[in-house]
Amino acid sequence: MEKISQSVVKKDHEPKMSGRSVYVGDYPGDGVLTGKLLRSTLARARVLDVELPVLPEGYFYVDKSDVPGDNNVNIVLDDTPVFARDTVEYIGEPIGMVAGPDVAVVNRILSEIKVSYEELEPVLDLRKADTVFFNYEYEKGDLKKALAEADKVYEEEFTTGYQDQTYLEPQGMMAEPEKNGHMYVHGSMQCAYYVHGAVMRVLGCRPDEVHIFQDVTGGGFGGKEDFPSILGCQVAVAAKKANAPVRCVFGRREDLEFTPKRHPSLCTYKVAVKDGKVTAMDIDVKFNGGAYTTLSAVVLQRGIICANGVYRIENLHVHGQALKTNTTPSGAYRGFGAPQTFFAVEMMMDHIARDLGVDSLKFKEAHLARQGDATSTSGKYHFPVPLPEMIEEVDRAADFRRKHLEYQKPQTGRYHKGIGMSLWFHGAGFTGSGERDFIKAVCKLHKFPDGTVEILASNGEIGQGLRTTFPKIVAHELNLPLDKVYYNHPDTARVPDSGPTVASRSLMIVGELLRRAAIKLRSQWKDGEDQVVEEHFKEPDFMIPFYLDKFQGDAYPTYAWGVGAIEVEIDTCTGTSKILGAYGSFDVGTPIDYNIVIGQMEGGFLQGIGYASIEQMNYDGRGRIRNNSFSDYLIPTTKDVPNLKCMLHVEKYPDGPYGAKGAGELPLVGAPGAYVEAVEQALGHGAKLNHAPFTAEDTLNEIRKEGK
Amino acid sequence: MVNGYTAATLEEALNIRAEHEVVPYAGGTDLMVENRPGVTYLFLNKISELKRISVDEKYVRIGSGATFTQALEDNRVPQLMKDAVALIAAPAIRNAGTFGGNLGNGSAKADSVLIEFVADAKLRLVSLRGERIVDVDRFYLGRKKLDLRDDELIAEILLPKTGLEQYDYQKVGGRNALAISRVSFAGVFSTQDGKITNIATAFGAVADTVLRFKDLEDTLLGKTPEEAKALKAQYLKSYADRMVLTRGRVSAEYRKTVCMNLLSEFLTRFGI
Amino acid sequence: MDAIRFVLNGQEVSYEGSASDRLLDVLRNTYRTTSVKCGCKEGECGACSVLMDGVLVNSCCVAMGAVEHSSIVTMEGFRDTERYAVLDRAFAEISAVQCGFCIPGMVLAAEALLVKTPHPSDEEIREGLSGNLCRCTGYNAIVHAVSSAAKEGEGLW
Repeated sequence: MEKISQSVVKKDHEPKMSGRSVYVGDYPGDGVLTGKLLRSTLARARVLDVELPVLPEGYFYVDKSDVPGDNNVNIVLDDTPVFARDTVEYIGEPIGMVAGPDVAVVNRILSEIKVSYEELEPVLDLRKADTVFFNYEYEKGDLKKALAEADKVYEEEFTTGYQDQTYLEPQGMMAEPEKNGHMYVHGSMQCAYYVHGAVMRVLGCRPDEVHIFQDVTGGGFGGKEDFPSILGCQVAVAAKKANAPVRCVFGRREDLEFTPKRHPSLCTYKVAVKDGKVTAMDIDVKFNGGAYTTLSAVVLQRGIICANGVYRIENLHVHGQALKTNTTPSGAYRGFGAPQTFFAVEMMMDHIARDLGVDSLKFKEAHLARQGDATSTSGKYHFPVPLPEMIEEVDRAADFRRKHLEYQKPQTGRYHKGIGMSLWFHGAGFTGSGERDFIKAVCKLHKFPDGTVEILASNGEIGQGLRTTFPKIVAHELNLPLDKVYYNHPDTARVPDSGPTVASRSLMIVGELLRRAAIKLRSQWKDGEDQVVEEHFKEPDFMIPFYLDKFQGDAYPTYAWGVGAIEVEIDTCTGTSKILGAYGSFDVGTPIDYNIVIGQMEGGFLQGIGYASIEQMNYDGRGRIRNNSFSDYLIPTTKDVPNLKCMLHVEKYPDGPYGAKGAGELPLVGAPGAYVEAVEQALGHGAKLNHAPFTAEDTLNEIRKEGK
Repeated sequence: MVNGYTAATLEEALNIRAEHEVVPYAGGTDLMVENRPGVTYLFLNKISELKRISVDEKYVRIGSGATFTQALEDNRVPQLMKDAVALIAAPAIRNAGTFGGNLGNGSAKADSVLIEFVADAKLRLVSLRGERIVDVDRFYLGRKKLDLRDDELIAEILLPKTGLEQYDYQKVGGRNALAISRVSFAGVFSTQDGKITNIATAFGAVADTVLRFKDLEDTLLGKTPEEAKALKAQYLKSYADRMVLTRGRVSAEYRKTVCMNLLSEFLTRFGI
Repeated sequence: MDAIRFVLNGQEVSYEGSASDRLLDVLRNTYRTTSVKCGCKEGECGACSVLMDGVLVNSCCVAMGAVEHSSIVTMEGFRDTERYAVLDRAFAEISAVQCGFCIPGMVLAAEALLVKTPHPSDEEIREGLSGNLCRCTGYNAIVHAVSSAAKEGEGLW
């Protein structure tokens, strides 16, 4: 193993292990007001009046009229209000915030506030949604011709449900007015500079009048990408009015019900097959964006770019829409639009193979993209595509091919087995030219006279190990012991904007910037002096420019690759399934710390299995999310997938630090395809499954269908 | 203490129970999820006489304050009961949760209560006025509806010592741990001289209370499994007609299908 | 009205608030033992696990009245022990800690398991930790760490 891959004790191990780490809810409450949100009880309504009780001394109520600047939170677009405008657009939309010293009194005030509404008809069904937030379309080749010449055209629809990030630490933010009139906002977040931009605008102040600090963050997975900007603005407005610190930490139910989650999807695939090969795909993708646009534009972009999976499809037409419904806004979650379309394309390929009477894996293998091939957006796979080797690795670990053949035979008895395999990639970093045009990452190294080096960047440690991997890179280049280099949680007053902690970009993009900065520092190193070096993002030369208006060019510089196999045993009496094994091979380039990367793969793969199987969340006829507690929204425990095996396959990326590529999101993306294929095989009888999660109830329904 | 009473002995507890409006607090694992504001608890968790597990000629007597963990570690507790409580939530909940609390919460999802139903368990209820022994199905009347008077406490669960050797227990939850039952099934079976002397089947988590239909079970008594087998189709149909199930996070239809499948499997297993 | 007396991490304390208050809230707000985390307040995640008279419980599901005369150990008390040191090394060795939020509860669950079962199989470890949700790790590293702590700490449990 290369030196950089060898595991070290994580820099944040000790405080987290011993319980000394201070998360936002752990600061002493003395002098801090607790903020609680007044939320809409209707999915769509005009707010006619908010009648407040008499507020005791020291208690405050804020709403849109208290926003000093702009009442819009800057995300991608600016349509998300800090506090509801004249209408509310989903159940739970914040109308105002009550803040005060005693939480029991705050709760009493909230219960006594009378909101009068004029109820309006909400749109809840994605199929009937008529407000199109984003509409994208691209094509290559000649779809019409391919469809006309096809031996057979397959058409199928796939749906996926919500998935909640379910970080163990719920959302929480705190705002503290400073003596000089500035506002200090801190809490659980992924993107300090996103919060900075948003709060600045909402308070109507200069950049230097606000600073943001990321507290120790108990998991994010995308859930703390945009949302802390919204909550940060709300507590900042309250703190401004109260002129006192205000903290708002969500309870689990509030978090499950009212914070963003993965977009539910509806994908329609029309696939032309000629001479046993797929010649064309016509794909329609619909994502349920919820009530405001938040991150839907970028989630949808990623989703449609990988709608053809890992396959070389010459004739391709993809149409994607993010639609408005009067529900909790959907947002970012590990995978970011890709898990939905990868699920659809993997199931589609599997179903076609079965219809053609050929082995599903062989069929997939026959269509694999290779190095040099064009991508869906007429960019290029510039680097080797290691899927064939990775398939062999997983086959060896899972005994996939043998089991797949064996379970194909008719099964009797109460328990039936099945195994499925899914192939996928994750485009590393921002989609398109985002890094070059919008993020323009900057990072710095500060060397102190005593020879210690501080990394100055804005990426947040959220469990993925940046406080360890960043220093490892810098220490490696500078030939310093690891304890001489450190990386603290970012404070926007101290660190440059190296971009957000999203898109599996931090290590690959910012890690490489840091490596270059370290080389620069090494060349200028003067013992005993205080030195600062700075490094700016440069797009790699090989990139084919990406045009978002046409969806053409390299959407990503490189790709992380994944192969996963899942073996299940279903109980035909109850529909429940037992996961006998989950095996994954993942190529994220050179692991910057083996343990850390394996930890990411295992955690992400398990999240993906949860998404495919037990993590069910939906809303009722009024638009209220039903699965709003930990007894109702189930994530995997220690006992659900005891046999989880993750392997690393290393295909180095020359423009990432030591060959590293994006890692965090990859392992989740393709799990649903593998799981549902496995259940499908166990069911036998020609079942064609087309939705995830596929629950015990779904399995039993399928068995009942066979019976009839 | 403020808003609460604590008792060291059962007698003390009964005095408090008779005099004050209190909610008996055993393990807290259900009560604290709700934790009603302004509630006054009577803490029973330090009363050693309620925590005892003992055996007499006829019964295994489980104190209402005995925890699930305690039962799992006690070799006198029937395996059927152990199978059920071993799948309750996770260790921390089993360490605190008690048999009395499981009953007192009045939920048809209570896994130990299901076993008490098929075992024809009796409950010993006590008050300053004396004590009474009731059958569990006469006590447990519906969601949050118990035949427990305002001055009474559940003292013991009396599980028959014999007759629980041949059994089946199945729990369908949403995952392998920390799972609340979506359907649960328990059945016991005995024969003597080739004839069925006892058959008891009950379903949990599917209706307002645990479902058991003794009159249907009676139709198989005294028959050989072979004879019973001839009646199986009709027997299952009678169950299907009687099972009016509620929906929860899973549909009523799903629950019914699972119940019928499990019942049929159970019969098959014992040659019916 | 008498205060509720109990032992917290070896120190006698008396709590003057309501008997129906949650142990979790009291530990965090009154005694500032903030290693005890609030993940759900419904007994469904284990982030608030503590040892009560040596037994693992979810502190969100314990009312203060039930704590009278009990001994409560949180990570603040446990982290000074030799057993903790062994677990600490094992967790560090395999980087079993990611976001850290579940960890204090998870480690106390491991301690409770090892007290009962000093030589656990992986299956027993998974059972022992089954009430403690972790969303980051997929659990493998944690199970591995507990297993290796049991071996390294031979004789301590």
